[in-house]
Amino acid sequence: MFVQGSALQNWIIAIFTLALFSVAFKENPLYRFVEHLYVGMAAAYGICLTWFNYGYPVLFQRIPGGKAHYIIPVIIGLMMYTRYFKPIAWLSRFTMSFLLGVGAGFVLSTTFRSLVLLQVTATFLPLWSSQSFAQTINNLIIVCGVAGTLIYFFFTAKRKGVIGVGAQFGKWVMMVAFGTAFGNTVMARVSLFLGRMQFLLGDWLKIIN
Amino acid sequence: MSFWEKMERLDRRVIYVLLIAAVAFALIKPVGLAITISKETQATYDLFDGLPPGSIVWIGCEYGASNITELQPILTCVLRQGLAKDLRFITGGMWAQAGNLAESAWEDVSADFPDKQYGIDFVNVGYRPGGERLLPALVADAHEALMGRDNRGTSLDDLPLMQEFKSLTDAAAILVLVSGTPGEKEYIRLVTDQHGIPIVAGAVSVSVPEAMPLLNSGQLKGLVMGMAGAAEYEVLIGKPGSAVAGMDAQSFAHVLIILFIVLGNLGHIALGKHKKKA
Repeated sequence: MFVQGSALQNWIIAIFTLALFSVAFKENPLYRFVEHLYVGMAAAYGICLTWFNYGYPVLFQRIPGGKAHYIIPVIIGLMMYTRYFKPIAWLSRFTMSFLLGVGAGFVLSTTFRSLVLLQVTATFLPLWSSQSFAQTINNLIIVCGVAGTLIYFFFTAKRKGVIGVGAQFGKWVMMVAFGTAFGNTVMARVSLFLGRMQFLLGDWLKIIN
Repeated sequence: MSFWEKMERLDRRVIYVLLIAAVAFALIKPVGLAITISKETQATYDLFDGLPPGSIVWIGCEYGASNITELQPILTCVLRQGLAKDLRFITGGMWAQAGNLAESAWEDVSADFPDKQYGIDFVNVGYRPGGERLLPALVADAHEALMGRDNRGTSLDDLPLMQEFKSLTDAAAILVLVSGTPGEKEYIRLVTDQHGIPIVAGAVSVSVPEAMPLLNSGQLKGLVMGMAGAAEYEVLIGKPGSAVAGMDAQSFAHVLIILFIVLGNLGHIALGKHKKKA
């Protein structure tokens, strides 16, 4: 298992796990304490990691080492903190503008081909497959499901005739998709719980191997 | 008060206790329910099985400690499979705990492969901040993007494996273990679709529906789906571990939840709550 600590570590982990689970039965101070401790530790962990993985190497190794251009993102980043000083707070808007511009350009330039074009292409399937009958059914579900879902969100025509049937079918397809997503969410949550139970019964209580 | 009215007022804590009891019982007394290999898991296994010895595989550990139950077994399985085939691995990621999780997996696996060495067969470059912008930086110049050192603070110049890995495009295949964003979509958008590197994913169950269209379009070559997929992979490599051990409990918990869903719906109908109000 992932956690292979000393007996003391296992006891601490077990007590904190049980404290967090206890909220399912009743809100209590122990749960609150552990919750706040977790949030604080996670924030500190993130700050330390970012500093030692990026801040420190850039400021004390890269820039003194001759890579002066790293000073540009450092300045842009520091400008964000000018919002705490009213007379120069406007400077933080440049950082926001920079982030928005780069972020939008970065995402848009790569998203269309991979997550739109190739996904649309993947729905161009033969409605009769010579490989197997099951493949034909799969292809029909994908093609009709995509068409129906798109029709459902077509709001500029009255929902009757072909549009009505298509939208109704699209709604059912979405319901099945939501059900699948919910089922997977339940499975994920049970897995999380299972992991903790494996730790409590195994690493801590030694009831299971 | 009728049976259904009593059930309607059932304290939710009763359900929790029953769930705990079902999971604990299955863990203590496993019944050994059959595990069948899905074609998605098989495709992932086959991809690594088909790589020539010496190939470099990048593993993106894009998850946190809360997802170790589902994803850590996949990581250790792929490491075991690959090291047995003389593949070499570089692990890293955009999630803060990537370095620690990969280090833990290497500790678990390396004891079974005494001839494999850190720096030659495996390197953990750990977490690097910047989100998805890290990926094009890794493609352009991996050493620069990684600030010249690995998760342990060792200079990349001192690690023989890293001398053959100057860009993410030097990887023969990519495995990305995902539990959210950034995840497999970012790798596909920014790396694999542009450079033609085969990519497979291991996903927590909740992320599986989002990954399925990428599998259907061929952008993902394989997908290991949650704890069930991890159990299948453990069976494929012939080393049952925590995922296989947990599958009985998973199934017991699911049966219990289905039972309560059915009871809930029957009660809804029996009490006439399904009728539309005027």
